[in-house]
Amino acid sequence: MATSTAPLAATDEVAGTPAPGHSARGLATHGKATPWLFLAPYLVLFFVFVIAPIIFGFYISLHRYDYTLPGKPFVGLDNYADLFDSASISSGIFWDSMQATGIFTVLSVPLLLVVPLLVALVMNRSFPGRNALRAVYFAPYVLGVAVVAVLWRYLLDANIGLVNYYLGLVGLPDDISWTTSVPAAWVALVGVTVWWTLGFNAVIYLAGLQDIAGELYEAARMDGANSWQQFVHVTLPGLKPVLSFVTMVTIIGSVNMFGQSYLITGGAPGRETRTAIYQIAETGLTNYQMGDAAAMSYVLTVFLMALSVIIFRLFRDKDA
Amino acid sequence: MAAVETPSSQQADRGRGASDAAHRGTTVKADGGPSRGRIVLRYALLILLALVYISPLVFMVVTSFKTRGEASAIPPSWIPNPFTTQAYETIFGAAGTPVLRWFGNSMLAALAHAALVVSTSALAAYALARMEFRGRKIVFGAIVATLFVPPVILIIPNYLIVAELGWLNTLVAVIVPTAASAFGVFFMRQFFLGIPVELEEAARLDGANQWETFVKVVLPLSKAALATLALLSFLTNWNDFLWPIYVLFSPEMQTLPAGLSTLQSANAVRYDLLMAGAVVASVPVLLLFVFLQRYLIEGVARSGLKG
Amino acid sequence: MSLTSVIAPTARRRRGRLGLVALAATTLAVSSCGGGVSAEEAAQGGEEAEFSGEYTGPDVELAYWNGFTGGDGPFMQKMVDEFNAEHDNIKVTPNTIQWGDFYQRLPAAVNAGEGPDVGAMHLDQLATNAARSVIVPVDNVAEGLGLTEDDFTKEVWDAGIYKDKRYGIPLDVHSLAMYYNKDHFEAAGITEAPTDEASFMDALEKLQAAGFEQPFWMPNLWPSHLMYLSLAWQNGAEVYAEDGSSASFDSPEAVEALEWQRSIIDQGYSPAEVAIDSQYAAFKAGETSITWDGIWQINDLKESGLNYGIAPIPTIFGEDAVWANSHNFFITKQASQDENKAQAAQVFIGWMSEHSEEWAGSGMIPARQSVRDSGVLDDAPQGVIAEQIDSMRFLPPVPGVGGVQAEALEPALSNAVLGRAEPQQAMSDAAQQATKLMEENLESFGG
Repeated sequence: MATSTAPLAATDEVAGTPAPGHSARGLATHGKATPWLFLAPYLVLFFVFVIAPIIFGFYISLHRYDYTLPGKPFVGLDNYADLFDSASISSGIFWDSMQATGIFTVLSVPLLLVVPLLVALVMNRSFPGRNALRAVYFAPYVLGVAVVAVLWRYLLDANIGLVNYYLGLVGLPDDISWTTSVPAAWVALVGVTVWWTLGFNAVIYLAGLQDIAGELYEAARMDGANSWQQFVHVTLPGLKPVLSFVTMVTIIGSVNMFGQSYLITGGAPGRETRTAIYQIAETGLTNYQMGDAAAMSYVLTVFLMALSVIIFRLFRDKDA
Repeated sequence: MAAVETPSSQQADRGRGASDAAHRGTTVKADGGPSRGRIVLRYALLILLALVYISPLVFMVVTSFKTRGEASAIPPSWIPNPFTTQAYETIFGAAGTPVLRWFGNSMLAALAHAALVVSTSALAAYALARMEFRGRKIVFGAIVATLFVPPVILIIPNYLIVAELGWLNTLVAVIVPTAASAFGVFFMRQFFLGIPVELEEAARLDGANQWETFVKVVLPLSKAALATLALLSFLTNWNDFLWPIYVLFSPEMQTLPAGLSTLQSANAVRYDLLMAGAVVASVPVLLLFVFLQRYLIEGVARSGLKG
Repeated sequence: MSLTSVIAPTARRRRGRLGLVALAATTLAVSSCGGGVSAEEAAQGGEEAEFSGEYTGPDVELAYWNGFTGGDGPFMQKMVDEFNAEHDNIKVTPNTIQWGDFYQRLPAAVNAGEGPDVGAMHLDQLATNAARSVIVPVDNVAEGLGLTEDDFTKEVWDAGIYKDKRYGIPLDVHSLAMYYNKDHFEAAGITEAPTDEASFMDALEKLQAAGFEQPFWMPNLWPSHLMYLSLAWQNGAEVYAEDGSSASFDSPEAVEALEWQRSIIDQGYSPAEVAIDSQYAAFKAGETSITWDGIWQINDLKESGLNYGIAPIPTIFGEDAVWANSHNFFITKQASQDENKAQAAQVFIGWMSEHSEEWAGSGMIPARQSVRDSGVLDDAPQGVIAEQIDSMRFLPPVPGVGGVQAEALEPALSNAVLGRAEPQQAMSDAAQQATKLMEENLESFGG
């Protein structure tokens, strides 16, 4: 993310190396301690709540760690081994939850990449009321997951919910158990998430679209390109930096899905829609099996980072 | 000045985008263009879609003013009859679900969190943007690297750290641990780098020290960025869900999202109450959104462009 | 425990005794055993007792947590109000939260010193919280009140003991029960509540014939596991080893129980997928004729105006057995660190136990025989269930058993009832997982 080329003029120093001229700025005249004093408040937070936990978390994962119990025996890599031993309870539970996360990600990411793009393309045209429209699509995003989930659990209620009622009105089945059966629950969770976060991606796309120079379209049209060809040859390449960001953020967001499933389905049916984060919180903070939970979060982290690298490569290769 | 990112240049950017769009718009028309009828049709479609899109929020507000019975009635009604504020009275008065208290907690926590993020990020970012010192690259590298660290890894250890600090069941637990914002530092640093260094040099020549320069010259120039960061931090904290439901125990200590979860489990089918609670949790952010839409949407857009 | 260090002055202790006797005499006036309690009290007079029955220290406030969020809530509130009115120097502040949140928060809260001083929790959670040193023994209270096994059923009394120490004072017992729609029964020509498999299946058939297509909705989520446990125990299965070392969800008897649940769906008496709580909602709405649920629903059903009947769940298999649980008062580590609070907490739970006849109004069955015999259940709907108290079975006092149920048993049951897994397979997988978890628990909880 940090190295994606930024379209705005002022961002030529993204990569962290100031332009040569700046390093010799007169501003370098300051006491040795000054920069550290400026950094200190942030660094205290950073060390205590980011760096230390990363290390401490690994330490926890090497123990059978229930902080309400006096004994926290060291178990080496047993917690990790359990996760990869198909007969163990934590492995079953964990991989089921990873599967749930995977299903949700695979279903939601394509929709969250495509639908907001369509919305952004519409909004990129000039017409009166465009800003109002933009606000309408963005509004749900400012609401928290708790509001969104509580609201949709009501709308998705199998008996008195709006969704089933209107489905019935147009002649579709009106008795779908959106919150307690699969695949309906997945449709519900993905649908709610798209409704909730569509505006976020659309706004970023829109900014990207507006940074594509009009001349490029002009030139394409001169070459006789039709709308679709313009989209493929001008719009998409122009969106590439934004697209890589949106893809990354959307995937990370989807993998971290928690509140929707916690509040709408409660993980039902069975544990089927209980995502990895949900399971980690449940294992660690409800059952206080913190060693297991820490191990799970390390495995999930490795997955996520691998995924990030793959996506990063994917977009870089296309650039080449 | 044109290359400098200040509020005025944002305007310029917007202007550019809009004119591009307008340009394209007219060209489409020149291509043969849609007839008046098709334009009307397109508008109707757009408006219809927008209405459908926003209808759940409307229904949420409508339901919060219904009676218990009407909230679960089929067919659903779009106008409460009778109109009643009973649901609000019930949740405001209930001992187990003190919604007004939650509102205060959320407001306090989100404001404090935003202030903490903005102040710590801005200070750190200024040092990283403008000062030369050994270890700068390492510090910046470490901070940027944590942008890639998924927050899930922090949940369990941070819970134990917070417990050790004696912060469980206090608002400090939802204000402080998430305040070390790598995004904040990154965002502010980008902004500071865009400010022409000459202004600061002039201040230094006038005898101002580093701190005075920062406070008197840099910060006033950075209002837009600071506001955007504050707004995003406020929203994130206001809406945070996973963390508060685990670190806050007692009913009077909940934040609104955590409280909503309590409200839902305590009143599974009392949808009038649930929607009233949801409305209370939505009003401040929707107001912020309406009044500060520009900062917010552009903050998001720019975070995308620069991420 | 700091209680042992609280040696009350002799005078105070004596006055305490007298106070307790008077209290027992007045509040248990209707109880035939009221005098017995006092006699037992007196009989213990020569022994060293830390439980004074009265609190004379400075004003103290007790945080009291419970999960009585339903129809039982107002009765608990009333009892607390009465206690507060009678005790000038003790102020009990109740905090009522959902049981799910309750158990998640309690250990952390007590650890942080932000938790309750006293509370009520389920019998099957006592061992877990005792092992976590969240709660402290209450043997002194039991002794001081003269509570013995004789006044409770052996099952409920013994299930409160973990590592030879008592951690809970039972307030009530509450079991699964069978609710039926009297109008439906009448329309189908059923005159008596079914009591065994033959009469139960016969009733279902008659109901179906009378036009009640799906007379018995089979939940796959809560309380499906309670039905399973009841049926498995009826069939002679030992679901959990007494020592907490293993689970046998997959014994032939237990699998048979699950297969019976599944067969209700296969035979068309129930929809295939019953959303959470909707079997109960459907019963309340008159859409289904029979549902098995806890006796704590009595007040809710009364309020709904439904013409319902209540009976013990039928004995589908060989022996009478029904899942039951019990609300138990406990004192936390937090309170035990403050002598005054500890003393006041004892007074509180002692008083609440003595006054449990009021609790009958909540739909629960008072745990004490003396209270049950006092006539409080004569007109109460749960009276017919109380008669079956000897067939009530409880989960063994094994730390972590709640987690085992939630993590291993319930999801597997859900899948099997929904027909997504074969009962045998689902149960052996779950049993394996549960056993592993239980072994680990024994190790970490130092069982």
